[in-house]
Amino acid sequence: MGARRGARGESRLIRYLILGSWALFCLAPVLWFLSIGLRPRVEIISPQPIYVPHLSLEAWHMIWEDWPMARYLRNSVLAIFGSVLIDLVLAIPAAYSLSRYRYRGRDDIGFYILSTRMMAPAIVAVPIFFLFRSAGLLDTIWALMIVYAAINLSLVTWIIRSYMLDIPKELEDAARTDGASDMRILVEIIIPAIIPGIITASVIAMIFAINEFLFTLLIASTPNAYTLSVALANFTGGSDGLIYNAIALVAFLAFVPVFLVVVAIQRHLSRGLTMGAVKG
Amino acid sequence: MARIELRNIQRKWGEFWGVRDVNLAIEDREFLVLLGPSGCGKTTTMRMIAGLEEPTEGEIVMDGEVVNGVDARDRDVAMVFQGYALYPNMTVYENIRFPLRMRRIPPSEHDARVRRAAEMVELSEFLDRKPAALSGGQRQRAALARAIVREPYVFLMDEPLSNLDAKLRQQMRVQIKYIQRKLQITTVYVTHDQIEAMTLADRIVVMKAGAIQQIGTPDQIYHDPANTFVAGFIGSPPMNLVAGRLEGGTFSAEGIRVDGLPDRLGGDVVIGIRPEDCTVADEGHLSAEVFGLEPTGDVTYLTLRAGDKLIEVKADRSYRVPLGSGATVAFDPARIYLFDAATGERLR
Ligand SMILES: Nc1ncnc2c1ncn2[C@@H]1O[C@H](COP(=O)(O)OP(=O)(O)OP(=O)(O)O)[C@@H](O)[C@H]1O
Ligand SMILES: [Mg+2]
Repeated sequence: MGARRGARGESRLIRYLILGSWALFCLAPVLWFLSIGLRPRVEIISPQPIYVPHLSLEAWHMIWEDWPMARYLRNSVLAIFGSVLIDLVLAIPAAYSLSRYRYRGRDDIGFYILSTRMMAPAIVAVPIFFLFRSAGLLDTIWALMIVYAAINLSLVTWIIRSYMLDIPKELEDAARTDGASDMRILVEIIIPAIIPGIITASVIAMIFAINEFLFTLLIASTPNAYTLSVALANFTGGSDGLIYNAIALVAFLAFVPVFLVVVAIQRHLSRGLTMGAVKG
Repeated sequence: MARIELRNIQRKWGEFWGVRDVNLAIEDREFLVLLGPSGCGKTTTMRMIAGLEEPTEGEIVMDGEVVNGVDARDRDVAMVFQGYALYPNMTVYENIRFPLRMRRIPPSEHDARVRRAAEMVELSEFLDRKPAALSGGQRQRAALARAIVREPYVFLMDEPLSNLDAKLRQQMRVQIKYIQRKLQITTVYVTHDQIEAMTLADRIVVMKAGAIQQIGTPDQIYHDPANTFVAGFIGSPPMNLVAGRLEGGTFSAEGIRVDGLPDRLGGDVVIGIRPEDCTVADEGHLSAEVFGLEPTGDVTYLTLRAGDKLIEVKADRSYRVPLGSGATVAFDPARIYLFDAATGERLR
């Protein structure tokens, strides 16, 4: 009995050791970034190894005071949330149609939607630029919203569709015999049943949007529409050279909210990433 | 008025016939029970009446109007689904109330109606629970309450009591019958349970492999079965069926000899005799080894082995005999049914 418990304790210790080192391995770059962001510039570019780092808020002050970081942050948040909202408004009815109605070409349409995801961004970059220019939307958050929404729409639709496919058909049959219209069924039965799917899809869309760089660079030309990801690039050019600590700090700031959200919903997320992408 | 006709209904999936050649008129205010083994097309028939499934061929007529193609929403049926189909995100209360909201019933009536329906199925204490927090039987009763909360054109109930214990099932049976009589609503009811079928039905429809075998009152189905399938399906234990030869009014098979049968018939036949029409006697038609003895309290079931055939006999409750010994039973020749051995159809 005692021996057995001992053995179990030992295996538990080993398990924690393995998981702990894995966590350290994954988190090390993040912590390293944070440490770069919190040290003075001179210290970072010094070639000598430094054993006792000096903490400094130099970069912190710089990004908020010398750069319109608050504005970039606001642009990012508005563009991202706006795009996710657009995605949900379009994807939920689309997914409902793809998962519930039978019509000719349904599966082709479904595949077409997914295939937009496979397109190389460079191919559409130029047309998109001209499109927004004619529409007078260049250098606006609206353009960012639309682009982010377009990039993510296929994935969001597909994930939500996979959750909808899991809802038993009898449930809808019951609602229909109870007298509910298609719209009612969608709003009162389907959507409440797939809330985890909607959250998952939204978070995945947010992650892609926050990391989006190419189209943002194309559209944004002034702080009007600069986002965090493009702002990062600003620290690499100019007369000051590479401002590593500012880059690290901004990257860290962009990372933290995503990280927290992912931790909060990780249980749903793994399902969304695997099943949502594969099923059906 | 709610008279429903199924005219020549077929439902095919590829080459598979789920339902075939169903012709059936359900009378206004009738309580019709669909009875048959698993997979015989009962649910499919119901779903076609509800408008959830389109027949491949044939017409569904409600009050003289062909309703093929009319959406389930506009047929005004209330259905209890075999799998309950409770809305998982709503409480029991909201589940029961859902059809009232959808059918635009004045909101002032909702609360009273929901509570009355819940009371009828003894679910009043569970109104605030979500379906996930209910037992199977409670879920089933919630589904039943959701159907009886309004007064539809027709009730469709797909095995609404299958998950309840014997006592509750009997209570609910009485409730359903009472509600149906009070509201005078045409009802189609699916069950595997013969007692349910016999006690509830105005008429029973026996189905097999998608086709109707017989339509009749419980008495007709029980006392006047149309073929060996119906005879062997109804009754508990069901009718004994023995294949043999009939010549000059005498039936003979291994270990069995019965005289006094109609002599205008002959050839290979199957005779049917219900367990309660057999009596243990000193002299009789069948002497065989006692294979099983099941005292149930009010009656003793005796199983005899004649050749490779098992014959069920309903004996007196005090009847006891050791297994493996011999017993003799007599049949009432007037209560013997004759069927064609090849087609299974009744010979009259
Ligand atoms: N969507 C479908 N596609 C193909 N076959 C189906 C479909 N729905 C039902 N069937 C088949 O039709 C037959 C009848 O099914 P149905 O559900 O009506 O049976 P049932 O009499 O209700 O059985 P049970 O008593 O087990 O509920 C079954 O053999 C079933 O496999
Ligand atoms: Mg069924």
